Amino acid sequence: MYMQIDNNFITIILIVFFSAILIYLIRSGLGYITRKNKSELQDQPFKTVTIVSCINKDYTLEREFREGDFIGKIEGLCPKCNSNIVIEKIYVVPIQIKETKEKK
Amino acid sequence: MPFTNGGGGIDLNTILSILFWAVFILYFLTDLPQKTQFMRYERGVAARLMLVETIVRESINKVKSYLGKLGIKESDNVINNVLDNYFVIEPVSIEPTDIIKRLDHMIVNNEDKFKKDLERFMPGLSRHTLNNIAVSLAIASALFTIFKVLRHYYLLGKKYENWVLLMQLYLLLPQLVKELIPYTKAIDGVFKGIPIGDSVGPMVTFKLAGLSPRIDIEEDTVYSLVNIEGRNVYIVKAKGPGATVGRPGKGVAKIAEMLSYKVARIITIDAALKLEGEQTGTIAEGSGAAIGDPGPEKIEIERVAVKCGAPLDAVIIKMGVDEAIKPMSKEIADSIDKAYQRILDIIKTRTKPGDNLIVAGIGNSVGVY
Repeated sequence: MYMQIDNNFITIILIVFFSAILIYLIRSGLGYITRKNKSELQDQPFKTVTIVSCINKDYTLEREFREGDFIGKIEGLCPKCNSNIVIEKIYVVPIQIKETKEKK
Repeated sequence: MPFTNGGGGIDLNTILSILFWAVFILYFLTDLPQKTQFMRYERGVAARLMLVETIVRESINKVKSYLGKLGIKESDNVINNVLDNYFVIEPVSIEPTDIIKRLDHMIVNNEDKFKKDLERFMPGLSRHTLNNIAVSLAIASALFTIFKVLRHYYLLGKKYENWVLLMQLYLLLPQLVKELIPYTKAIDGVFKGIPIGDSVGPMVTFKLAGLSPRIDIEEDTVYSLVNIEGRNVYIVKAKGPGATVGRPGKGVAKIAEMLSYKVARIITIDAALKLEGEQTGTIAEGSGAAIGDPGPEKIEIERVAVKCGAPLDAVIIKMGVDEAIKPMSKEIADSIDKAYQRILDIIKTRTKPGDNLIVAGIGNSVGVY
C-alpha cells in the first residue's frame, strides 16, 4: 500500500500538530532546567549620593555617601558665608553598566 | 515521494489515529491531566520556595555579618532568638471596649521586651545602633515568617494532593517573590543609615525644623518648636538618625495636653502606597491622620484633633511598596521639596499668626536627624 504525503492533508496537519506539541513540551521542560532563579535576586547596582548645602542656600555640594552621614549632620562651614553647611539629602541613583566584549 | 510501510505493517495514518485517540482518552477519561498539572505546580512552587529561602538566608547572613562587624560574638543566638519569638496576639475583638488600649498595651510590651532583650545580648551599644539592629532583625524575622507560612501551605498541598492549593501558590509566588526581594535590600540601607522611602515624613519635618533642638516627648519620639510667620509650629517626628518610627500619636497627644488643647490645626505627612500607573513622588492632600500603624497611634491623633476641634490635614507622598522600604530614590527625594512647600502653604493660608500648630512627620527616621 502506498501513500503520498503531499496529497494527504490530514496527515500533514496531524504531523504539524504533534510536532508543535513535542516542541512545546521540550521547550517547557528545558525552561525548568535552565531557569535562572538567582538572577531575580540581582538588582541594578546603585550609588548613594549625599547633598550638602549651606543653611543660607548659597552653597551646594554633591558627593558620594560616607558611612556616618545623616540628614541634619553639620559638615563644617560654608566657604562663601561662613554659616553651617548641613547634609540636606541622601538618595540613591542607579549606575548604568556598559557591557563591553573584549576580544582575546 | 512514496511512503511505504514495508508491507504487512500499519501505515502512518493508522499510527497517528491511534496516537490521537490515545491522547484523547488519556486527556478526557483519566486523571492524567490533573496529575501532570499537580506535578507541574508542585515543581514550580518548590523552585519558587527555594528562591524565598535564599532571600531569607541572604537577609539573615547580612544581619549576622553586621553584628559581627559590631563585635557581637553571640550573633547566632541573637538571630535564632528573634526569628521565632516576639509575636503579638490580637486582643479579643468580640468585646470591643478598650480594644485600642489593649492592642497598644500588647504592642508596647512586645517592643519593650524586644529592645530590652537586645540590650541584654548587646550591652553598651548606642540607641541608634540598637534601633538599626532591631529594624534589621524585624525584617529578617518577617521574611522568615512569610517563608514558613508559604512552606506550610506547600507541604499541606503536597500531603493531601490538593492541586487547587498548589495552583494558588504557583500563581501567587512570582508576585510575592518580587515583593520580598526589596526587604533584603532594605537591610543594607538600614545598616548604613541611608534614608528609605518611608523616611519622607521625617525628612519633610526636618526641612521645617532645621537644626532647632529636638526635645524628647515619648520613647524614640522628639519635637521641635519653630516659628513660621508668627505661628508656633510644634514639629513631631521619630528620634533619628537611628531606624525607628517612634510613637508620633502619643507625642502629638502630649503636646496638645501641654498646650491645654489650644491647637488650631494638626498636619500629618507620610508616605502612601501608589496605585499601579500612578507616578512615584506625587503629592496629594486630604483630611485625616496620614499614618499606617495598626491603630493605637492613629486613634491618638484623631482623638486629639476632635478634642481640640482642630482640622486634621493629611499630606501624602506616593510610592510603590518596594520604594517605601528600599533606600530613597532621587525621584522621592525631589518630591520632599514639593511636600514642604505644600505644608508651608497650609500653614500660611489656613492658620493665623499666634496660632499653635502641630506637624507630625510620620515614618522611619533612619538617616534623618
